[in-house]
Amino acid sequence: MTVSQPGNEMPGPLAGLRVLELTGEHAQFCGKLMADLGADVIKIEPPGGQETRNVGPFLDDEPGPERSLYFWHYNTSKRGITLDITTQEGQEVFRKLAATAGLVLESFPAGYLPGLGLGYESLAKDNPSLIMCSVTPFGQDGPWRDYQTSDLLHLAAGGQMASSGYDFEDVPDAPPIAPGGGNAWHIASHYAYIGIMGALYHRDFTGEGQYIDVSAHEACSLTTEGAIAIYLSTGEVVRRHTGRHASVDMSPGIQHTTKDGGHINTTRSGSNLTPARVKVLGEWMDGYGLAQDLLDDKYQDPAVVEESGQHFADVLKNFFANMPLVEAYEGGQELNFPWGAVRTMEEIIGDPHLEDREFFVPVEHPELGREFTYPGAAAIYNASPWRISRRAPLIGEHNQEILGDEFGLSKDELEALKKSGAI
Amino acid sequence: MQANGSTTPKRRKERPLEGVRVVDFTWVRAGPWAARWLATLGAEVIKVEWPENMDMIRLNRFTVPPGVEPGPNSTAQFADTNAGKLGLTVNVRHPKGLEAIKSLIGVSDVVIENFSSRIMSRWGLGYEELRQIRPDVVYVSMAGFGQTGRQHYFGTMGPAAQALSGLTHLSGLPGEQPAGWGWSYLDDTGGMYGAMCVLTALQHRNRTGQGQHVDLSQMITGITLIGSAFLDKTVNGRDSRRVGYPPGNRTVWPGAPVMNNYRGPIAAPHNAYRTLGGGYNDWCVIACLSDEEWTKLVDLMGSPAWATDGKFATLDGRLEHQDEMDQGIEKWAITLGKYELADKCQASGVRAMPVQSSEDRVERDPQLRHREMFTKVKHPMLGDWKFQSAPFQYDGVKVPVKGPPPLIGEHTTKIMGDLLGVSRDELLQGFEEGVYWPETTPKFDYVQRSIDDEAKR
Repeated sequence: MTVSQPGNEMPGPLAGLRVLELTGEHAQFCGKLMADLGADVIKIEPPGGQETRNVGPFLDDEPGPERSLYFWHYNTSKRGITLDITTQEGQEVFRKLAATAGLVLESFPAGYLPGLGLGYESLAKDNPSLIMCSVTPFGQDGPWRDYQTSDLLHLAAGGQMASSGYDFEDVPDAPPIAPGGGNAWHIASHYAYIGIMGALYHRDFTGEGQYIDVSAHEACSLTTEGAIAIYLSTGEVVRRHTGRHASVDMSPGIQHTTKDGGHINTTRSGSNLTPARVKVLGEWMDGYGLAQDLLDDKYQDPAVVEESGQHFADVLKNFFANMPLVEAYEGGQELNFPWGAVRTMEEIIGDPHLEDREFFVPVEHPELGREFTYPGAAAIYNASPWRISRRAPLIGEHNQEILGDEFGLSKDELEALKKSGAI
Repeated sequence: MQANGSTTPKRRKERPLEGVRVVDFTWVRAGPWAARWLATLGAEVIKVEWPENMDMIRLNRFTVPPGVEPGPNSTAQFADTNAGKLGLTVNVRHPKGLEAIKSLIGVSDVVIENFSSRIMSRWGLGYEELRQIRPDVVYVSMAGFGQTGRQHYFGTMGPAAQALSGLTHLSGLPGEQPAGWGWSYLDDTGGMYGAMCVLTALQHRNRTGQGQHVDLSQMITGITLIGSAFLDKTVNGRDSRRVGYPPGNRTVWPGAPVMNNYRGPIAAPHNAYRTLGGGYNDWCVIACLSDEEWTKLVDLMGSPAWATDGKFATLDGRLEHQDEMDQGIEKWAITLGKYELADKCQASGVRAMPVQSSEDRVERDPQLRHREMFTKVKHPMLGDWKFQSAPFQYDGVKVPVKGPPPLIGEHTTKIMGDLLGVSRDELLQGFEEGVYWPETTPKFDYVQRSIDDEAKR
């Protein structure tokens, strides 16, 4: 099977959109999403580089601002300049850039930019169609506005932790668990992206810019699926269960251990079966001598199947305990059981299905003379491709290109900015 | 302090996507959640359903409030997931139904679906067919594994997709099985991606006049959220099946080698602590991202002897003695309510937030209340019901849902008659022939009424 990826020369869907990005962990992912889809995202870092460059893991485990894999991942396809916007010279340059930008994406504390004379109203005077999006922990107002947070803190306040953890019989007295990966900021970035796209659409027809105030806390609070609806309709609070949905009642376990010590997640393992499906399952498992009584004629009676859910779950549990992980998962999928192996990057890197979709993207790091494999696109656009156009920028890598070549600052002017510490 | 944006809110007259029409074939959660956001942004979203093969969320018995008659129009989870859409029932497997849906797509901008891969093509509603009818159509497919790739036919619900993407393994305590995510994170986030794909492709269309097909995979969406672990493997060759991983709520598990575990900066303390009351959700998280923040926490705790020991003065020391430190902090935390604890910490410059349940967020969270997170909208079965607003404001104005969700088939006669110009006789005949409602399924009163009204025209 080949992927109908369009040619690499076609522009991405956001080509022509210029974005000034002044954000670290809060919204750098939003900037990456736009940059990989073709926007010209200019990352503006303070001289010396942004603090996110100090977050690991690092290339060969040696810390350094140009060695952060974390920074690399979140800043692909962007160009980078350094600019000290606390200085007057820096502010003048920033105003110049903002006058030609389509979008300013920022995550300073509320009040910071207006304090420098760089709030939305001030920037929009020179550029009425400018869109500005602020992504902050709690938004621009409210009693918690100035509270300091982190990924962990948002997953606590947003409700993720109240839903995630273990059944008591699996891990007695386990705390609520905050899932890893830095997802609070991903959640905020996704909603920021949607808000921005809405504003762009509005501008396409009216020419008007606007100001978007995104709250990471509200975004997280929107991201616990049915927990809110269950509370609103029953007054009850969900309880945490190992490897499956939190729920008000006790639900059957769906995460099973395999022979090789892996885990398989079977959505509703023993329930929702029909006689025909029990037979399909039984015949497959019989090939391994593990069908137990599933091929018994009694299971051709829907009423018997209906009341045997727990038994089927037990038979499956025993089956998985005697099967290697990948064989069990793929075998089930071939028979239309929507099961999932709990995979790590060891299984994911090189997965042939992902290779078919050209998910593994080689990215050159010319300064290192090396090429590394990055995660690619979740979605294939057939007329305007997603692509990583370059690795993350080095500190101030495009100062000359952007400030000199594109904005026409002279060599002397650039030199003066450098001397004053503004770039 | 002044906010970063507009200080003089102007109320916008319209939502940004007004004028965009979306034909929504999605069901369950990820797809409907995507289209729900398009509706919230102002699009006219027409949810296409068939009562014999109903969106299973309509049948979710866990979210029917007591006193409300159970049924496909009574579930709160369906309501919030489909707020602001219109409801059309049509049988796309009936030739006349297929014709009707094609004429609807002819006057629409967007088609969105989350069936198993290639089902829509089997019905004659694939991208290649639809672009004949509407050349600039934006068509977004949201299958588990996508439409391309050798395993495109593999099916996923949220939890299986999370397992396969690597997300499940990120969550839990070392030495235990994964705790995973206690909800379908990839239905919520898969929905976000679906909406993002539509909006992005609309941008492309606005600029070039060109539509396109976007082939999204729910499972792969999850992999893109684990970039640091991905690069740690491809660049450094590091496996994540390792001692001390995943490290629970900490950044590094006590005794495990100090390395980044993909949650941001390495820090200690960084954990959940029990608070006063000891109830199921009486926990507060505290994170000190610098020595300075730790010193502030020590002061706030009243500088107990254990905490002033020099071994806790540095990050390395706090990581090495995490268990002792966490026990000390918890002894203090348990004396305060979770909100009081968080407020005290924040007032002293220490990062802390309460673990909030769903009830906490609806009833106690002062920030969500201030920002009008929940907006009451009248719903025919649920009464005045709270719906979740957008987590952003445009020019200082909150964006609530556009309206209640559709009753099944609520707008069929309106859409077919007023929008598509189907004649009264054809419409009535369609209802008799099982095009707009199954012949053997009893009709709801409102469906019968809409047919009667049509007959009287």
